Amino acid sequence: MTKAKEATTPVLRLTDVKKSFGSVHALKGISLEIHRGEVIGLIGENGAGKSTLLKILTGIYQPDKGTIAVNGSTVKFRNPRDSAASGIGVVHQEQSLFTNLTVAENIAMNGAASKGYGTTLGFYRWGKLNKAAASTLEIIGSKLNPKTRVGDLSFVDRQMVEIARAISVDTSKNATPLVILDEPTSLLERGETAILEREIRKLKDFGSVIFVSHRLDEIIRNCDRILVMRHGELVADRVTTSVTEDELFKLMVGHESHATAHERRARPANEVPAIEVTGLTRKGKFKNVSLSVHSGRVTAIVGTSGSGREEFSRAIFGAEKFDGGTIVLNGQPARGWRIPKAVKRGMGFVPAERKVEGMVGGFSAAENIVLTHPGDAAIGPILLPWKRNKIAQRWFSTLDVRPNDISQNLERFSGGNQQKVVMAKWLNDPELRVLVLDHPLRGLDPGAAETVNEQIKEACKKGTAVILLADTLEEALEMGDDVVVMRDGVISATYDLSVDNPSTLDLLERMV
Amino acid sequence: MAPTQTSESAANVKVDTAAIRAREQVTARRVMFAGSGEPLALIGAMVVLIVIFSILNPRFATIENLQNVLNQASLPLIIGLGATLVILIGSIDLSVEGVMGASGVAFVLLSANSRGGHDTGLWAWILPLVLAAALGATSGLIYTMLRVPSFIVTLGMWFVGFGIATILYGTDAYPELTDDTVTLWVAKITLGLPNGFWVAAILTVLMALVIRFTRFGRVALAMGNNEEIARSNGMPIVRNKVFIFIVAGLFSGLAGILATMQMGGTSNHIGDGYLFITIPAVVIGGTSLGGGKGGVFRTAIGVLLLTILNNGLVLAGVSPSYQSAVSGAILVVAIVAAAWPQRGRLRIAK
Repeated sequence: MTKAKEATTPVLRLTDVKKSFGSVHALKGISLEIHRGEVIGLIGENGAGKSTLLKILTGIYQPDKGTIAVNGSTVKFRNPRDSAASGIGVVHQEQSLFTNLTVAENIAMNGAASKGYGTTLGFYRWGKLNKAAASTLEIIGSKLNPKTRVGDLSFVDRQMVEIARAISVDTSKNATPLVILDEPTSLLERGETAILEREIRKLKDFGSVIFVSHRLDEIIRNCDRILVMRHGELVADRVTTSVTEDELFKLMVGHESHATAHERRARPANEVPAIEVTGLTRKGKFKNVSLSVHSGRVTAIVGTSGSGREEFSRAIFGAEKFDGGTIVLNGQPARGWRIPKAVKRGMGFVPAERKVEGMVGGFSAAENIVLTHPGDAAIGPILLPWKRNKIAQRWFSTLDVRPNDISQNLERFSGGNQQKVVMAKWLNDPELRVLVLDHPLRGLDPGAAETVNEQIKEACKKGTAVILLADTLEEALEMGDDVVVMRDGVISATYDLSVDNPSTLDLLERMV
Repeated sequence: MAPTQTSESAANVKVDTAAIRAREQVTARRVMFAGSGEPLALIGAMVVLIVIFSILNPRFATIENLQNVLNQASLPLIIGLGATLVILIGSIDLSVEGVMGASGVAFVLLSANSRGGHDTGLWAWILPLVLAAALGATSGLIYTMLRVPSFIVTLGMWFVGFGIATILYGTDAYPELTDDTVTLWVAKITLGLPNGFWVAAILTVLMALVIRFTRFGRVALAMGNNEEIARSNGMPIVRNKVFIFIVAGLFSGLAGILATMQMGGTSNHIGDGYLFITIPAVVIGGTSLGGGKGGVFRTAIGVLLLTILNNGLVLAGVSPSYQSAVSGAILVVAIVAAAWPQRGRLRIAK
C-alpha cells in the first residue's frame, strides 16, 4: 500500500472527463489517478456511470470533454485498438473470448497485441504463437495448454485466458499494463473466486488493476483504494483500511441499508411440505437427493460448480430430466414432469442465465411481467393491455424498477432491474407455492440485491416455499431456514438453522 | 486483514489444488478427443451407403463409377468452398445459381462457339470470373454497408445474376462450345481422377490452409463465433466480409465455367439445382449455420456423401420420378442427424 503513495507519474490520470448521451449526463466530470502497483476498487449502483467510464478507458466511447493521460502523456482513444496499444487491457464481465479458437489465438487476437504476435504478413506461425502465449500465461502462473480450444475450458480457466489477454497489451510504450477487471467474479463459484483473487495479487507485481465488483467484501479484501460512483460522479475515494462495508453501501446507494433480517420459521411438525423430493437421481449429475421444503421456509443449497445442485434445481422445475426419484407437491405426486406442469402446479423458477432463459428481451417490461401469470390481464386467450399495464405499474412501484417505464423493452434495462421484473413475473402468481431461485443476485448491485432479497422474504410471508441456490455462503446463511450442502451430486450435510449454527468454514468443509 | 479471513482463505487454497488437478485431467481428455467425433460418424455413414449400394447394384463399386461420382462431386465441392466460408461467418450466400448462369453464359460467348463470336483466349476466363467477383462484391457491400441480411441480399443477387445471364444469352440459338479439348477437359482422367475433381481437391486444400494459417481465415472464424467481440477487438469486419463474398462469387463463377465446359454449351439455367445440393452438403458436413464452427474438409465429406447418395439411387433403379422426393427426404433425415447433438438443449452453454 505504501508503494501506491509514491510520488511517481500516475499510470492513468483522468481530468474532468464528461460524457452525455442526449440529455442524460452519464459522466459529470470524473477526475482520478491510478498509480503503479495499485489495485483500485470501483463500485457504484447500476447506472452510476461505471460502465460508461470503462468504455471510455477502453476506447469504445470517446469523452465529450476532459483528458486522459497514460504515464503522463495525454492520449486519445479512437477505438479499442488504441486503448490496448496504450497498455490498457480489460477482462469483461461477460466473457469475450472466441470459444471456437485456441487459448493462444485468443490471447493473440487482442487488438494491437496481435500485430507481429505470431503472424507474418497475415500468415500464422503457430509455433511462435503458442510459445508467446505460453510465456504470457506463465507470467500469471497459469499452466493452461495454449493449444486447447477455449470452448473446452471451465469458466475460471477462461477467466485466466481473459487475464492473460488483458496483460498481453502492448507494453512497449508503457512499462505497466493497466488491467481492468469488470465484475470478473460475478459468475464464479467460491473456490474459483479464490483462484482469481490470488491472480489479482500477482498482477500487482507488474501492473495496476481496476477491479469492478458488486461484492463489497471482495472489494475490501482485494483493493488498496476504493472509488465510489453515484449518478455519474465520483462521490468518494477511500483507502481500504479506513472503510467498512456499511459505509460503502451508504456511499453507493445514498441511504442506509433497509435490509430486514429474514424471520426464520421452524420446521413445522405435522404439515404437508409444499415440495417433497425423494431420492431424485440423474446419472452423472446427482444421486439420491431428498429434501422437503415447507410453506414459508427457505432451503438454501450450496455446493461447488460440480456439485450437481444446479442440475438438481432445474430437474425439480422440469427443465431437465431425471432418471429416478419422486417429486411431491402439496401431497400430490408430480408425474411426467415438464415445465408447463410445474408452472400450473404453482412453481416458479428464476434461472441463473437471466438474459437467455429468464426473460424475453424484445418484449416490454409489462409484457414480461404478465407473460406466465396474466392474472386479470387476460380473459381466456384475449389480453387486456390496460389491465396489464396496471399490474406492471404496481410491480414497478413495489420493486422500485428504474427507469419507471413499463413500455420499454426489457433488454434495455440494467441487470438489476431486469431481475426485479423476472421476479415480478413469478410473484404475480397469487398461487405461487414453490419458487426455485438459481443465483438470483448474480451480477446485481447491492441496492437491487436488497430489493430482490426483500421480495423473497415477502413471498415467504405469503406462504411460498423457496429453494435458493445462493451466490455466496453468507447469502445462504442469511436467507436460509435450512442449508443443504451438496458435493459430487449427493447431499453431504443438512443444517436446520433454527437449531444449528454452522459457520461458512463448516459449509466449505462439506463442499469439498 | 481480520484473522477469520486469513483462516478462510487458507481453506480456499486447499480447495483450489484439488479442483485444479481435476480440471487439468478433464482438459487433457478434451484436447485429445476434441472435434474428432462428427467427421468419423459421417465417414461411417458413407461406408454404410457404399456397402448398401454395392449390394443393390454391383456396378456401383467400380472404378468407372468412382470416377463418375468424383466428377459429379467436383462442382458442388467448388461452390461449397465459398459457401463454407460464408457460413463460417454466420452469413449465407444464395446467389450461387445466378452467378453460375452469368459467368457460364459470359464464358461461352467469349470462347469459340456455335454462334460464331470470337475466341478471346484467356479473357474468356478472366471476364466471367471478374463478373462473378463483382456480383459477390456487390452482395458483400450491400450486406455490410446497408446492413441488410445476407439472406435477402444474395436472394436478390441470384436473380440479378440470372437476369444478366438472360440478357447475355439473348434470343439466339443455344450456344455450343466448338473446341472439343475444352468440352472434354473437365471429365478427362488424369492420374486416375477427373480433372474437375483435381481442381476441386486442390482448391479445397488451399482453402483449408487459408482458414488454418492466415489472419484472414482466423478472423473469419472469430467473427463467426462472436462478431460483437471481434468488432470490439478492432478486427476488420467489413473488409473481411466483403472479401469473403468476393471469394464465394469467384468459386460460383468458376463452377459456372466448368459446368458450361462439361455441358459443351450453356443456357442461363446452367446453375439450376446446385444450391440445393451445396448448402445441405455444407451443413451435413458439420459447418454450423450459426457460424464459427466447421471447415472445408467437412464440406468435402458432406458433398461426397450426397453425391454418393444421388448416384447410388440412380444405380439402384429408383424411378426418376421418385428420386427427387427420396433424396429430399434423405436430406432432411441427414440434417436432423447432423443437428442431433444440439437438440433440445434448454440450457445454453456459458
